[in-house]
Amino acid sequence: MKTKSLYPYYLIWPALFIYCIFFVLPALIGLFYSFTDWRLDRETLKFIGLDNFQQIFSDKTLVLALKNTFIFAIVTVIGKNVLGIALAIGLNMRLKSKNLLRAIFYSPSILSVLVISIVFTPMLRTDGTINKFLEAIGLGVIGQSWLTDPTIVIWTVALVSIWQHTGFQMAIYLAGLQSISKEYYEAATIDGAGAWSTFSKITLPLLLPAININLMLTLIGGLKVFSEVFVLTGGGPGNASQVVGTIILRSFGEGSWGMGTAINTLLFAAVTVISIPLLIFMRRKEVAE
Amino acid sequence: MNHKMKKAATGVIASLLALSLAACGSNSNSPAGTATNGGSGSSGSKVTLELAISKSSQDSAFVAQDLLDAFEKETNIKVNLQLLPAEQTATVLQTKLAVDETPDIIQYNLASAVTDLNLERNFEILDSEPWVSRLLNKDVLSANDHVYSFHVSQDTGMQGVVYNKDMFKELNLSIPTTFEEFLAVCEAIKASGVTPVFMPFKDNWAANIWPGAAFADYAAKNDPTLFDDLNSNKKKWTDIPEFAALLDQQYQVFKKGYTNPDILSDSYDMAVGKFLDKEVAMMFMGDWLIENVAEKDPSIHLGLFAIPSSKDASLGASPLGGQLFIPKKAKHMAEAKKFLEFIATKEQAQKMVDAQGYVSNFNDVTTPKLPDYKQEIVDNYITPKKTVLTTDAHMLVDRSELYRNLQDQFAGAKTPEEVLSAWNDKFAQLMKDKGVAGF
Repeated sequence: MKTKSLYPYYLIWPALFIYCIFFVLPALIGLFYSFTDWRLDRETLKFIGLDNFQQIFSDKTLVLALKNTFIFAIVTVIGKNVLGIALAIGLNMRLKSKNLLRAIFYSPSILSVLVISIVFTPMLRTDGTINKFLEAIGLGVIGQSWLTDPTIVIWTVALVSIWQHTGFQMAIYLAGLQSISKEYYEAATIDGAGAWSTFSKITLPLLLPAININLMLTLIGGLKVFSEVFVLTGGGPGNASQVVGTIILRSFGEGSWGMGTAINTLLFAAVTVISIPLLIFMRRKEVAE
Repeated sequence: MNHKMKKAATGVIASLLALSLAACGSNSNSPAGTATNGGSGSSGSKVTLELAISKSSQDSAFVAQDLLDAFEKETNIKVNLQLLPAEQTATVLQTKLAVDETPDIIQYNLASAVTDLNLERNFEILDSEPWVSRLLNKDVLSANDHVYSFHVSQDTGMQGVVYNKDMFKELNLSIPTTFEEFLAVCEAIKASGVTPVFMPFKDNWAANIWPGAAFADYAAKNDPTLFDDLNSNKKKWTDIPEFAALLDQQYQVFKKGYTNPDILSDSYDMAVGKFLDKEVAMMFMGDWLIENVAEKDPSIHLGLFAIPSSKDASLGASPLGGQLFIPKKAKHMAEAKKFLEFIATKEQAQKMVDAQGYVSNFNDVTTPKLPDYKQEIVDNYITPKKTVLTTDAHMLVDRSELYRNLQDQFAGAKTPEEVLSAWNDKFAQLMKDKGVAGF
């Protein structure tokens, strides 16, 4: 009877050790602190059970931040993936300039979010480039105070995020498309299938692994959003664009460290509860196809 | 045997990796070692003091290179600056103090140090330092009857309406003393084609200049124990309808079209340029703005008058800013105290007071001839005792949520009453979290 070698498993030890020290351990310590009144101005810690979590849901700003976080996550998941697939299909065709176009569409995703802030903040002013352009083409009526109107600010930040990251999603979809054998398309052509049938019966099912990866990446990224909001609006005007990430920063700024870790724990739980069932569901679909 | 060797080798590699990781951590986590050896490499005995300061305070007189060089030359002690991001100065310092990675000296604001940094727990009492006996005004450096901070000046930042005196002269306008007069002045300036008031409320703290002075003026005139009552929960912020009226005044200036149109997109760093280009005539701000404009163009004459929220209002006086503090856990306590002693010497303090136009806080250091705008403030407000400590000085908690609520008012999301109600709730929660009696 042949014994299975354990050798490859030993190689995992260093990585596992690093992972435990820098992720698992801090996460467990954070979980402990979320049940305490850990504050800048307290000498000692007191275990306060679920008080922090009760206080979280009585804070109107945090409820608004949760709503904003979900709006941002849903809008960016849909935007980045629909546009990403569309761009990938377009740039998977026989175009002379496809390499140049791929580079152009991918380039925003390698820019720092600070650069995005420097570029977009003046463009999105009430008297900024975007409104002036809309006015010049006769669409001045749809001009907005993009970053200072509380009713639309989170949507604006989501659109900027879609603009920046769609190229990255496109690259993953392109890789997925290129792994689909051309024979399927040739057979479909012989059978007289139309463009929609080819897309829905061949491309989409075989692209499911890439869709799965992109959905998870965009969803988790959307729920954990911080940098885009922080650099473009700082959570403002007022609290209009606060998301869970900026509220965590606010709590630490106020010296309420126990509360900050409690909100972080809640975010971790929300991301886990939403993403794991989705992952399982998508994996099953993959197998079924 | 072969399998055992592989196992052993893997174990050794894993241990080495872990050790190297621990070594990296240890190295990056040793400011004490760095500080002891300073930048002198092999000299061994040279001490380097770590002075933490916000990036926005880089022009502080305490960190001028010639001062630091002179200190190093005399004492062989080097001062290394830790520049902290302006928006996160409080958070970074809180973290450093919490994890005992304390700098040797910190530049901060005394009133904010009480609320943000737990002054009593974290900072050294300086009562017995040799320079304290020479102070003219201990109060501006003290909290709870102890001197906790250092400065050569006793000037506090004055807050009111910064205005272009030349424009007022050209339009034959006089300084308004009531809100109605102020609106009339705005109308006249607007008619001349200039924006009357610049509101850079992208920086939410800027929206607090008007209420900060106006609330304090109201309390001083009508209810001197008001802030004590608010701090002990005997009164609530929503109990004072006059506060809502004062918030509405500032909003009216915006609603009547006397400001820059995109106030929530414009930030404070644009202010100097707006005055230099003569695009605006006034701004609710502190006298530091006048100094910043004068540095760029001394030919522009700016002045300061009190926020005209009520008849003959007092000028807002903010708590003295930019003092130096020594953390209790400073790694080089003696050397840090020596640095303060050095700046406090008659020679160094006089240099600093002369260069900055400070009102000296030492009995043997002479106050130089003050700039015109400052002399006017002294003559019109300080000497006749028409100043009032701004509301911020009376609040024991982080004020950022109040500032955000003020921003909400200008975004059209809250009425003045809703601003006060939201702040009342947050204030109570922060005071409760802080463990203040009565909440």
